[in-house]
Amino acid sequence: MNWSDYSPRRYSRHALSVAILLAVIVAASWLCEVNLSDLIKGFSKGLSMLGFFFPPDWSAFSEMLQPALVTIVICLVATPIGATVSILFGLAGARNIAPPWLRLSSRSLIAVERGLPEIVILLLLVAAFGLGPFAGMMALAIGSIGMLGKLVADAIEEIDARVLDSVAAVGATRWQVIRHAVLPEILPSLVANSIFRFEVNIRASVLLGAIGAGGIGYELNAAINQLEYSRATVAALISLLLVFLSERGADYLRAKILTSRSLA
Amino acid sequence: MLDVRNLTKRLPDGHALLNDISFRVDKGEFVAVLGASGAGKSLTMRAIVGLTSVTHGEVVFTGETGKVYRTTSIGGKELRRARRNIGVIFQGCNLVKRLTVLDNVMIGRLGRIHPLRSWLYGFTDREAAEAMVALDRVGLADFAARLTGSLSGGEMQRVAIARAIYQRPLFYLADEPIASLDPKNAESIMRLLQPLARESPILGTFHQPEMVMRYCTRVLAIKKGKIIYDGSPRLSSGQLAEIYGDEIGLAATAAAEPSLVGS
Repeated sequence: MNWSDYSPRRYSRHALSVAILLAVIVAASWLCEVNLSDLIKGFSKGLSMLGFFFPPDWSAFSEMLQPALVTIVICLVATPIGATVSILFGLAGARNIAPPWLRLSSRSLIAVERGLPEIVILLLLVAAFGLGPFAGMMALAIGSIGMLGKLVADAIEEIDARVLDSVAAVGATRWQVIRHAVLPEILPSLVANSIFRFEVNIRASVLLGAIGAGGIGYELNAAINQLEYSRATVAALISLLLVFLSERGADYLRAKILTSRSLA
Repeated sequence: MLDVRNLTKRLPDGHALLNDISFRVDKGEFVAVLGASGAGKSLTMRAIVGLTSVTHGEVVFTGETGKVYRTTSIGGKELRRARRNIGVIFQGCNLVKRLTVLDNVMIGRLGRIHPLRSWLYGFTDREAAEAMVALDRVGLADFAARLTGSLSGGEMQRVAIARAIYQRPLFYLADEPIASLDPKNAESIMRLLQPLARESPILGTFHQPEMVMRYCTRVLAIKKGKIIYDGSPRLSSGQLAEIYGDEIGLAATAAAEPSLVGS
């Protein structure tokens, strides 16, 4: 290290890397058939299409309320189910609670759930349950376990072993230790994380709705397929409102819970 | 009351962590275990509650129903039965921080109530009232509804004592109850423990010979896993040097030994 490391000339050393990067980009766009004139044409076409979306067809608003409610209900059911099951996965996945074989299998299962996008989970579930809100709810619940289960397991592993020993030393059973030491320590953060997950689920359920899980996403997709663009605008605005409101509400609740005294 | 016989714990390579430790603790006694860090004080305590296994020897005491417990050779349900007779006073920092003070005190009774009941229902009002009596005894009745994590070190240590009192044990094991406290707090904890020991004997590990001299009835000194002294708490500076090696004062106060439930 000397002063020349900080001189402006140091950028020139990266010239080769930049040249390679540019070459890769050009090659990739050629492979993907990126066409600049198509982009410009499509853009102007899209602009003229925009006129179809406005003004929104507000008469559709009242019909959209029920699908919007379905979206909320799907998430209201899916998130707590996911959170509850994630406690079991978390306990099984924590080094200080579960034996190594159980920890490994639970952690792997959680990782698979986390690795699969909700859409893939939904497509797999549709085979069993058919299209509709129930399959969507299940997909969101399973997706939630992927995230919450890992957070719970990590939170449990962070509990000081001496705290658990001190409860076991009065003659408590393993399950009593879980009930009176582990759960009180992890529940506040689990609830806070679940509220965040609820917000994520609202977003995801619009997408799942579009491929057939019902709710406001389904209405949005249907309106576009039927070329009723001004209707689609209303559905899009409602989805936006749902996402915005769930985010505000989640922030508020999470702040309240993390500063509250005790949950268990 | 509590009989520790020939307790020996060896590592696979033959090195002895505990070497033939034997002593008795009788009613009315307040016994201090002294020794440098790593001497085996905490390990002895862990062995008594059955939190660590031993190679040889046994820990024997007679439960309230006249049943004889050997905590070194039992496990599962039997060990849990035995443990509810032992009031372990942990360092205050080992309480469940996100529970209220009262909830932490009531944990002391978990060994005596049915697991299903403690899961589904929790504690009864009568148990809560009794826990309040224990809290009152350590002067923290007003703190019952506070979140434990918001307490000071000295206050947490008192809660840990209240938990052990509420447990109504045959004897107490105190794991460095004043190690992390300032002199004033340490003094007031010793004043709490002294009368407690007259009801049920206390075996505690300490690092402050001057406190021990004033409050305890007897000293056990452990060095390299062996008992080298068992007798009056009035130790000469020569004896202290013997216990702690060369750096008497330094070892006595600065040593932060891994606690009873440490790794």
